[in-house]
Amino acid sequence: MIKQVDIEQDTYFLYPAALVVKEQPMKIHTILGSCIAVCLYDKVKKAGGMNHFMLPYWNGTGLATPKYGNIAIERLLDGMLRIGCKQENLVAKVFGGSAVLNVQSNAFSIGDRNSEAALDLLGEYKIPIIAKSIGGTLGRKIIYDTYTSEVIHRIIKN
Amino acid sequence: MTDFTTMSNERLLAEIKSRLKEKELYQNQVNKLNSTILELGKKLNESESLKTHFISNISNELMNPFTSILAISENILSVDKENWKKVIHMVSLIHTEVFNLDFQLKNIFAAAKIEAGETQPEITLINIDQLISNLIQSFKHESKVKHLKVDYLSRNLVSDTVLYFKSDAEKVQLLLSNLLSNAIKFSYPEGNVQIEAIKDEETLTIKVKDEGQGISKSNEQIIYDRFKRLDSGINSLNRGHGLGLSIMKAICDILNGKLSFESELGKGTTFTLQLKESTGDTTGISTDADEIFFKEDIF
Repeated sequence: MIKQVDIEQDTYFLYPAALVVKEQPMKIHTILGSCIAVCLYDKVKKAGGMNHFMLPYWNGTGLATPKYGNIAIERLLDGMLRIGCKQENLVAKVFGGSAVLNVQSNAFSIGDRNSEAALDLLGEYKIPIIAKSIGGTLGRKIIYDTYTSEVIHRIIKN
Repeated sequence: MTDFTTMSNERLLAEIKSRLKEKELYQNQVNKLNSTILELGKKLNESESLKTHFISNISNELMNPFTSILAISENILSVDKENWKKVIHMVSLIHTEVFNLDFQLKNIFAAAKIEAGETQPEITLINIDQLISNLIQSFKHESKVKHLKVDYLSRNLVSDTVLYFKSDAEKVQLLLSNLLSNAIKFSYPEGNVQIEAIKDEETLTIKVKDEGQGISKSNEQIIYDRFKRLDSGINSLNRGHGLGLSIMKAICDILNGKLSFESELGKGTTFTLQLKESTGDTTGISTDADEIFFKEDIF
């Protein structure tokens, strides 16, 4: 059966520490400060998903939630593979990781550490990063179209 | 570069001393980082093995209730008409078992959902007074068995009305039922459990106080670890899966809340939950008003 999908209607607001992967096209909105959002996209299947993590690595305390980069990226990849994507067809876009909170000058900010974790982990999974906007001191608002892989990106005041 | 050939012996010695000191400083830092990594590795290993053994650890918790329910219901079926009054007692036993099972399964599914990143806040206006009263009512049987007195104090500092609060009802209920369940579980018989809700301009503070066994200083660090039960011996009277507090912590993250506790060994524990009231915007999408430059980039 062929089903008409209304792309405009299916919008999803992604909260921190959550992730979303769907076979159906959708527009995922999120707002980032020091958090990172990784958008994965399957070029062949034309489907995608996004996570939104707050800290780089899980330290073994509490639940292993996608609040942490290593968990969030692994779960997002799992989700993509589950809907039938192939790892070799995946590309990534990375956003966020700004230093929105004032921190001591020489220490790495959470944003920097998050960005580094995202780039490292995607490198480990051998997923090419085709676009990124990370760092800086201002927040970001992004809208990711999982059908076209297009990301609309705006800088916002915190 | 410093030219060491022209330096006096004293200055050279001072230079060496300062460099050795510097080296020592770095060495200390490396040692510190090393031990952090070792500790982390140990923790992750432990967590992984606890996770692997999760099913076998909780299979008793899940199977025992079914076995008792089955046995009790068989007994009920064979009760003579004259002895029907016995049935009430049997039904109360079934209720206890099912209540525990329901509570544990709710927690396990909540944890699975949070770990999968599928949990989103669904904000509604909650009648906190009603929610807590219903909760105490639902734990009535559990508290009655231990002869506990459960009190609820509601203080609205903003207005004189019933305590309303904007948040995710289902998650707040799970938070409070875990707090109340723990308080009942760790209370000594015939003690008091007190729940206090205080609402000011934008925060809801809920304190759950018990007069139970308390938490020792050495255990304070590990109570939030998942699958960890402080008293998990085979003779342990306390049942459970060790997920409660780690779930509560994760839900607090989602609801913008804080969970803390004060405890004295043998005297009791007070858990304090602080939640920020959700703003009217239930979708969480901010307005366009705070965007600067009005510039859009397409990636």
